[in-house]
Amino acid sequence: MLFPTFAFGLFFVVVFVLNWLTRPHPIVWRVVIFGSSLFFYGWWNWRFVILLLWAIGSNWFAGNKIDRCRQLGLQDGIRAWTTVAIASDLALLGVFKYYDFFAVELSNLLGIGTALPLLELTLPVGISFFTFQAMSYVIDLRRGVIQPMKPLDFAVYLSFFPQLVAGPIVRASEMAPQIANRPDPRQVPSAEAFHLILRGLFKKVVVSSWLASNLVEDVFADPEAHSGLDALFAVYGYAIQIYADFSGYTDIAIGVALLLGFRFPLNFDRPYRALSLRDFWRRWHITLSSWLRDYLYIPLGGNRGQTADLYRNLLITMLLGGLWHGSTWNFVIWGAIHGVALVIERSLPIHRIHPLGRWVITFHVVCFAWVFFRADSFSGAWEVLSAIATPSGDTKQLNVGLILLIFSAIGAQFITKSASARLASWMSSRPTLLQGIAFGIGLVAIDLLGPDGIAPFIYFQF
Amino acid sequence: MEKIIHPESAPQADPKSNNQGAPAGRVLIAGLVGLLVAVFLNSAALVTDAKRLPDGASRSLALAIWTPIESGASFLGLTWPRAAGERLLGRSEPEQSITLFLEPTEIETASKEEEWLVEGVEEEQESKNSAIVGLAETPESVWSSDSRFELWVVGDSMVQFFGDTFVSLAETSASVQATSEPVLASGLSRPDYFDWPTRIAEIMTNHDPDAVIVMFGGNDAQNIRAADGNWLERFEDSWLQEYQRRIARIMDLVTSDKERILLWVGQPPMRLQGFDQRMQLVNKLYRTEAAGRERVQYVDLRELFTDSSGKYAKYLPDESGKLVDVRLSDGVHLSHWGGEWLSALLLQELRTSPKINELWDR
Repeated sequence: MLFPTFAFGLFFVVVFVLNWLTRPHPIVWRVVIFGSSLFFYGWWNWRFVILLLWAIGSNWFAGNKIDRCRQLGLQDGIRAWTTVAIASDLALLGVFKYYDFFAVELSNLLGIGTALPLLELTLPVGISFFTFQAMSYVIDLRRGVIQPMKPLDFAVYLSFFPQLVAGPIVRASEMAPQIANRPDPRQVPSAEAFHLILRGLFKKVVVSSWLASNLVEDVFADPEAHSGLDALFAVYGYAIQIYADFSGYTDIAIGVALLLGFRFPLNFDRPYRALSLRDFWRRWHITLSSWLRDYLYIPLGGNRGQTADLYRNLLITMLLGGLWHGSTWNFVIWGAIHGVALVIERSLPIHRIHPLGRWVITFHVVCFAWVFFRADSFSGAWEVLSAIATPSGDTKQLNVGLILLIFSAIGAQFITKSASARLASWMSSRPTLLQGIAFGIGLVAIDLLGPDGIAPFIYFQF
Repeated sequence: MEKIIHPESAPQADPKSNNQGAPAGRVLIAGLVGLLVAVFLNSAALVTDAKRLPDGASRSLALAIWTPIESGASFLGLTWPRAAGERLLGRSEPEQSITLFLEPTEIETASKEEEWLVEGVEEEQESKNSAIVGLAETPESVWSSDSRFELWVVGDSMVQFFGDTFVSLAETSASVQATSEPVLASGLSRPDYFDWPTRIAEIMTNHDPDAVIVMFGGNDAQNIRAADGNWLERFEDSWLQEYQRRIARIMDLVTSDKERILLWVGQPPMRLQGFDQRMQLVNKLYRTEAAGRERVQYVDLRELFTDSSGKYAKYLPDESGKLVDVRLSDGVHLSHWGGEWLSALLLQELRTSPKINELWDR
């Protein structure tokens, strides 16, 4: 079920009513939210629900065992159950997401053709998100930073539909108190929620879809047929498209969750204003980068040890971060570019460069990496880069509107947070009914401005 | 009983976010009013979208809901803001794009038989030894960089995944100009969504291409509205006759110029069994209709995109034996490599004509 659809609107109205009606009854409320989330997920393919239930059951069970072993002081037991849970989660990802990739690469390496069986399974939507959440739960239990959740609480946490298919990756420590405690039904932050939902829809339906259908898709489909300027702006356009698409989804998810009494962590903080790669990763997909930091980079050694160790840890983290996005070499290359750039950045005195220069360099390194992220293959990425490097021919795709859209979107990254907060605050001071009418008019305006047919969110495929 | 907490006291609360909230009941009413406003202001577009749905319960339900709302909105004058917006953006109003293709054309088709599954069609097609071998034997058909061999590729979203690749491949000859024109979600079943016969007639008139490649079918296994306005059930006899009539019309439009050839690309195998069976049915219709025409070549993709056991495969070995992914994860569309394979096959088909072959041998 896609957010910008009538089906979701209808679904959400029902869930909203049930949510607030049943909130005083903890068990009923949990069943309602869990059931709604399964319905939401099963809308794509009911078979996926079985996977989700497996992830919920296996991780809750292992988490319980970890806690029991902790109480009994059985360190081996804690280690064993943590390993079992993580292996189970990785196996789920491995089978559905990575098996074919590695089997094909191995077959080609050994030259054995089709000797290795291929699974050719459909990738369940959001599997990377909920398995990462599940892993954070068992690891946090092992570290003793959280208490085990009750089965229904854990089921609600892992399946909660606003963040189920494309994040943000919410930790158990953030969700558990919100599930356990009842929010004030007299204080639903409607203005903030409507503002976020409209902002997210605008980013997705208008900005992302326009750039995709009018520039990015055509150029990346056949870079050689386009001029250098077309190719360059298609790369800038993709940088904006993927940001608008993903942060748009996150905005809607946060807004929807707010209406149900939940507050999700920040996932994007104007990433294209970053003055360094480190800064970029503090602003882009924050819940993933902090997950990778806490559960991969730091356990690998983090900043401790020799400089070479730090560089190694950075590279491993970014390579695996790339692979998390998908089972192709292009994603690995994307991660490698970021890893190498982070290493170079740490080894050079970049603070001596003028901030404008740092911004230009950072933005272009990020865009360079996006080429590999977006292209179908390495050769496809190379063709885009070649087209940029050998400017020739007339521009086919570019027009003033697209250029303005790209520059406006980049410029919007420099608007202060308080400006956005002031708008939400202004909306919140209006009567609720007026907020609703403004919301309705906003929906129509967005639908009017968007192109025909809205593609699924890019991050669904991860 | 659970403790009631204020949302802002929850973890990760943004200190700069507004602290004002409203009771859930009032928010519900406000949200419903907002949705109602949106539905009324947008009712014309909602009716248009409903009309585009495949015939069935969903379409009937959507029309039953949106049509009276649209009438009410229109009566109250609430549809003009959207219409004004459309005009301001230079778009045609939604209703104007809904023009059913109802033109009753009498076309001499190759297969007059009641049986649509014509026995021996495959053999007949093969016996043609490619419909394009004898093309372009006339002096007019000598192409150069000044008078280029013009190719058009049209069809549904499948074309989007190989059209540009094919264009690049074809234009490796300076004497070739190729154009790809995919229209997503289009086909021959729903001219009310996109009227391909009209568009193809325009292309023939305005560009007079030397060769046309079409690929339809992926969106066509749905009920068809006949000339009398009745819906024809998918794959029933009347549906088959009407669909075959539409295929014939496209073929006639393209080959109305005796110098022009048409490559009709069949659907590749699909991952889902039911969908694959439906695509095999429409493929037989294409093949049947092409078999009796001089300048129409049916291009079968099943062999190209099946594994050694004749089944759908996402990964297939290329010429060097290396496995490559030829299909997208949706089990329908072609990947980058799949698009390259199909483009190479189409070029190979075109080059079966010695005259056309010369274009790339210069």
